[in-house]
Amino acid sequence: MSEGELPLVFFSLTVAALATLLILPPGVAVAYGLARWEGAGKGLVETLLSLPLVLPPTAVGLVLLELLARGSPLGRALDALGVEVVFTPKAVVLASAVMAFPLLVRAARSGFEEVDPRLVAVARTLGDSRVRAFFRVTLPLAWRGVLTGALLAFSRALGEFGATVLVAGNIPGRTQTLSLAIFHRTQLGQDAEALRLAGIATFIAFAAIYATEILSRRRGARARA
Amino acid sequence: MRTLLLALLLALPSASLAGERVLVFAAASTTDALQEVGRAFTKQQGPRVEFAFGASSDLARQAVAGAPADVFLSADTAKMDQVEKAGLVQAGTRVELLSNRLVVVVPVDSKQKVASAADLRGVKRLTLADPAAVPAGLYAKGWLEKVGVWKELEPLVVPTLDVRAALAAVEAGRVDAGIVYATDAAQSKRVRVVLTVPEAEGPRIVYPVAALSRGKDSEAGRAFVHFLAGDTARSIFERYGFIVLSGKPQP
Amino acid sequence: MIEISLRLPLARFALEIDARFTSASVAVMGRSGSGKTSLLESLAGLRRGARGRLVVGGHMLLDSAVGMDVPPEERRMGYVPQDSLLFPHLTARENVRFGVRKGRPSRVDEAVALLELEPLLHRYPVTLSGGERQRVALARALATDPALLLLDEPLAALDVALKERVLPYLLRIRDEARVPLLYVTHQLGEARVLAQEALLLEEGRVRAVGPADAVLGGVTRGLLGMEPEENILEGSLERPAEGGLRLRVAEGFSLWVPDAANLAAGVHAAYAVLAEDILLSVGPLTGVSARNVLEGTVRRSEEAGVGDRVLLVEVAGVSLAVRVTEGAVRELRVVEGSRVFLAVKTSACRRLR
Repeated sequence: MSEGELPLVFFSLTVAALATLLILPPGVAVAYGLARWEGAGKGLVETLLSLPLVLPPTAVGLVLLELLARGSPLGRALDALGVEVVFTPKAVVLASAVMAFPLLVRAARSGFEEVDPRLVAVARTLGDSRVRAFFRVTLPLAWRGVLTGALLAFSRALGEFGATVLVAGNIPGRTQTLSLAIFHRTQLGQDAEALRLAGIATFIAFAAIYATEILSRRRGARARA
Repeated sequence: MRTLLLALLLALPSASLAGERVLVFAAASTTDALQEVGRAFTKQQGPRVEFAFGASSDLARQAVAGAPADVFLSADTAKMDQVEKAGLVQAGTRVELLSNRLVVVVPVDSKQKVASAADLRGVKRLTLADPAAVPAGLYAKGWLEKVGVWKELEPLVVPTLDVRAALAAVEAGRVDAGIVYATDAAQSKRVRVVLTVPEAEGPRIVYPVAALSRGKDSEAGRAFVHFLAGDTARSIFERYGFIVLSGKPQP
Repeated sequence: MIEISLRLPLARFALEIDARFTSASVAVMGRSGSGKTSLLESLAGLRRGARGRLVVGGHMLLDSAVGMDVPPEERRMGYVPQDSLLFPHLTARENVRFGVRKGRPSRVDEAVALLELEPLLHRYPVTLSGGERQRVALARALATDPALLLLDEPLAALDVALKERVLPYLLRIRDEARVPLLYVTHQLGEARVLAQEALLLEEGRVRAVGPADAVLGGVTRGLLGMEPEENILEGSLERPAEGGLRLRVAEGFSLWVPDAANLAAGVHAAYAVLAEDILLSVGPLTGVSARNVLEGTVRRSEEAGVGDRVLLVEVAGVSLAVRVTEGAVRELRVVEGSRVFLAVKTSACRRLR
């Protein structure tokens, strides 16, 4: 990798990792909730959560932009606190996090659904509170699903473009991720560099998805045992 | 992108219609003026004019890649050279058509005062059309380099796809200030011009235009370029704030 | 001491149980869907909608009148579900130790010894047999020193041979570990062996409650909806001169049973004979291979399942259930009061204790 590329890749990986870590606790909580609870409005919640998956990323980016704009209540609150989000790396993390969230929830949820809820009941009779039982029984049994979700979320965050470009801008050295850089290079007519970056992106994505494949095979094997 | 979609649509009709339609690739800053010129052209001469507006760098790239543009109006000479080098320009049709001025704008309700380039240092965020490729950004960067503040301002810059996107960012208040063309600022009620770049400090802005050939010379394209240099077009351009150059054909 | 005053709405009816138990083991029986498992879950604290009062060993677990509902993790009920439900990601040892924590009473070593789990401790549940898994589940519940053990058909998932092997462990828990048991079962035989008190449920309501012998003996057997139906016959063993082993059930009623060297004459024993293993004839039986031929009178004729009937036949004052097909009853014209002959093979007699 040439000089300019290394910090770019590093930035992209860091941002994707941060986005993934950011959504992990709420994503796992939501996934668990969807796996266990049946109630009024569950369908609505599922639909809302799936929106970033089917909406054009630019639409999502636009919504984020409006929410964070100077004039909005949230924007004003952030301004008062001296916190800048739009056009900063924070916005990149945020955009990636929002787009990746549904993927994490889906995969983690299916991991949780594979865990027999009666095991938690037994754990409770043995003295564990619901929370303790979650960490001692449910999570250890569902970790493959959660990890798969995290890997998928990571890959999605890495490839994020539409929402990111709107809410974070394509600022070289500040908010330019791998995806944005590829686009920018083509705009500058630097096709060879663009291709090289695309190659790096492909390699990383391949590794991440391959890992999820291995994980799902191991899950299948254990289920059959 | 709109241009690509347009190109796809145009690829479908049969070749016999080619004379009836002109596809013009033009710099984003000429959007409103050129649309009016196009309507006048159609009224006077007949062929329909279709536009694809965007950053001249993007348009040049797409033309070179094969997009079926009949006319190219660029915001700087470099992009026209690029297209000409690719052999797409019909001989004798290249003309230096317009010029423009750079201005610094702020949101209309902003209290920001900018008396000179140096004052921009007090700004939190400054938007330009991508200074790496887009003419408007290149001009702005050229100016800021000339007055020696580019290095300090560079970390504050938010680059956009084209100059109209930069304008929109200022209108929406997403940035504190932006550098756009005087003609763009004149179009918007939501920005305020705080500084017009003096001629002495600013770069020489030239908008060349040319008729393109896609293997087959476009008659209507040539006619449109000729129309652009005429009086009707001139008065429209001047009304929008463009500086019309002598219109001498380039050798 | 167990006090149950419970109201719990279920799918088709509501559970309404008022009962008091004082012994070391209580059997809960009834047809599938009669609410047995729901009762167990309510005791364990796993049923949110339960209302009423639950007191176990002097500890109040539920008192809706004062809004008290102790969560399951604080109830100290040892719950052993029907399919053991061991934690698959933990070894047997880790499973047993699951509920044990510093500052909490622990009977781990005792449980492991009682259930003979030493050689299994390092293994994962997936490598254990059904019987071994049940033993681990029992030890796991026992290890937390529970006030009461709730067992949901612990032997149901096991085949006959395994049942025989695990049953003694349950007895040891009751007698040596001195932990009271509340035990849901379908099998009359097990209930008779383990239970000192019994509760019979029908559609969520108490059909009978009291000492096991009283509740489980007699004519109500058909209503238990248990299959297969078993006849439990008790008496003392004798070794007649001609050889073999015989159980003297009552005056004029002796049953040849399978011989076993370790059984001495005079010993009190109980045997089970399945209702479907008894052959019925309306005329005297001669020249048949079965060594046991009994004569009796039909006292009751009940429908039982698809195309079957269960006849309660009185032999020398002892009631025996005999399962025959509808067709047979019609053809043989067997009605209440009919005199019939029963044949029981020696091998069909299974020793309980």
